[in-house]
Amino acid sequence: MNYENKASLGRGIKTGFCACLLLSCIVLVPPLLCAEDEFSFDLEEIEKKALQMRGYLEFRGEHMDINQGSVFTNLNLSDPDISTMDLIFGSIQLDGSYEQGISSLNWLLKAAAQQDTLGWSDMTDVYSAYLSVKPDPSVTLALGKQSYKWGKGYAWNPVGFINRPKDPNNPEEALEGYVTAETDFIKSYQTALQTAALTLAVLPVWEGINEDFGESNNVNVAAKLYLLYMDTDIDLILLTGNSRSNRFGLDFSTNLAPNFEIHGEAAYIPELEKVVLLEDNSSAVEQGAAFSTLLGIRYLSENDITSIVEYYYNGGGYSEDEMSRFYQLAETGLVQDPALGSTLLDKAREMSLKGYGRPQPGRQYLYSKFTQKEPFDILYFTPGITALVNLEDQSYSISPEGVYSGLTNWEFRLRFSLINGGKYTEYGEKVNSNKLELRVRYFF
Amino acid sequence: MHSKILGPFQITVAMLLLCIAGPALALDGNELLRQVDKNMQPQSYEMYRKLINVEPDGKKKEFVLYTVKTGQDKMVALFISPASEEGRATLRLGDNMWLYIPNVGKPLRITSLQSVIGGIFNNSDILRLDYHFEYDAESISEQEETYQLELKAKSPSVAYDRLKMEIDKKSMLPTTIECYAVSGMLIKTLHYSKIQDFGDGLVRPSVLETDSPLHKGYRSVMLFAKVQKREFADEVFTLNYLSKVNELRK
Repeated sequence: MNYENKASLGRGIKTGFCACLLLSCIVLVPPLLCAEDEFSFDLEEIEKKALQMRGYLEFRGEHMDINQGSVFTNLNLSDPDISTMDLIFGSIQLDGSYEQGISSLNWLLKAAAQQDTLGWSDMTDVYSAYLSVKPDPSVTLALGKQSYKWGKGYAWNPVGFINRPKDPNNPEEALEGYVTAETDFIKSYQTALQTAALTLAVLPVWEGINEDFGESNNVNVAAKLYLLYMDTDIDLILLTGNSRSNRFGLDFSTNLAPNFEIHGEAAYIPELEKVVLLEDNSSAVEQGAAFSTLLGIRYLSENDITSIVEYYYNGGGYSEDEMSRFYQLAETGLVQDPALGSTLLDKAREMSLKGYGRPQPGRQYLYSKFTQKEPFDILYFTPGITALVNLEDQSYSISPEGVYSGLTNWEFRLRFSLINGGKYTEYGEKVNSNKLELRVRYFF
Repeated sequence: MHSKILGPFQITVAMLLLCIAGPALALDGNELLRQVDKNMQPQSYEMYRKLINVEPDGKKKEFVLYTVKTGQDKMVALFISPASEEGRATLRLGDNMWLYIPNVGKPLRITSLQSVIGGIFNNSDILRLDYHFEYDAESISEQEETYQLELKAKSPSVAYDRLKMEIDKKSMLPTTIECYAVSGMLIKTLHYSKIQDFGDGLVRPSVLETDSPLHKGYRSVMLFAKVQKREFADEVFTLNYLSKVNELRK
């Protein structure tokens, strides 16, 4: 091989190498250049339809250890001798709206079924269904059943005079509304008072309509004046009518720092009627003023831990002594000679329904919830822990949980609750001493 | 050779010149920033955005938002997909931010650094106001094809304390923005690309890609569509209206 041939071969290798390089570039570079093209945004995805439907399917499995011998186990369970309870729950929630011009029809429907150790139960309900008309962005008129979430507290809302009571462990699930006629006026300003909005709701209680709200054959009016003043949300709330006694409330929420929010509520009920158990095991209706307050904070730390802490003083609640008297009545009823009938146990059941058995019937509570978003770079995973303490009897529930939402339209929540307290305390007399729960939701 | 020593008069003149020149530079930077904002979007507008979170293994999660803005500091973003997020809305009025979740039913105050969707984008990325409204230009430098602006947040409530913005001289649009915390740590880098004509004279990037040294291997992409000028009543930007934002869509 002469030098010419070598040079020719060299040129050939060089040419081949260049061709390979070029080919590699053609093969490899386009994906890089087209990296942005791997994403598309079709306008069809944002096309608006007059009829909109969404909702979710929920499956929940629970296992509980029964707090055998506790007051509420004996009052509420048809078989108080069981030691554990397993539960399978399924539900569907349908949320939709139909828009036509300035009007819209909105609804929220729920159907659920449950099979547990003691039996089967199911329900269907219209949580909300109302017609809304917006002649102007500042005016909305609505008629029908809709839910109200007044107040700034996460776990409790003493000023939520027309809210449904909520479970602090699942505060987002009190979705059922009341039938009302509502008007909403909004006005914005370029001053220290940035927004003023007045919501007026007329809530009748007639046969078949809002019967569980209070005394029948009355028309009640609830009003909320919202102000955004100097970067602080303020609500002034009023309920008047004869179904429930008059109520006055105030709440606020503001940021003391970008990552530190403070909120509070104060409610005053001049003539609150409360059913109380007397020493001779008879009952009476006490009437008196009740003042309830809530003070809370929400703080986001640098490592993405959100802390919510709330203190709640329930002015209309029962004192530790009053609750203890109720627990003693139930226990005495249990050991009562069957020959004498079950008068005391029936009385305890009656008192449970009239107030002693409602969620958080006591006077002072502390709620705290800590969640950390996506620890250890686990995207869409949020572990957390919620604690609820009755400050008067020192009983508590504590619930660690993990929520994962990494699969589009799926949400998984695993939660364990430990419920604990001494004898004659709120959490010491609950039906279960712990609960393991897996909840799966599929959104559509 | 004589060395010249400056007298008191020359020193005073030099200091005066420096005092004048400093603000003049800042003014130029701020003017540049205003121009960038003007080119990026009208003051009152509506738009759709798709947010895509991409995980290191290539798995994606997409969100679509409808956004409306008016004035300097009023903005609402509504999630219209996926179904699990549909109806969620975030409102911003100046430094105040709220999140409305349909099932919770009442707006909660949130902070700009929180992320309502997970991934690299946080609330301030979703509810970003005009740059010149939140930042002051501290220095400006230029290369052949780009300007470099160093920006400082006007208030501590702004999510990123400092920005380093690279601006394309020809289009006067940002190409890269580095976002720094008060500590000086780089939080994320934004890359604008794919200039598109949105109509009505608006020519701007249609893709914003974000990566972060805090989330190695993860990236988030924002695609823009139907960015158009539209006027809204101030009452739309209130807590009472948050549940009704979807009705603004045409």
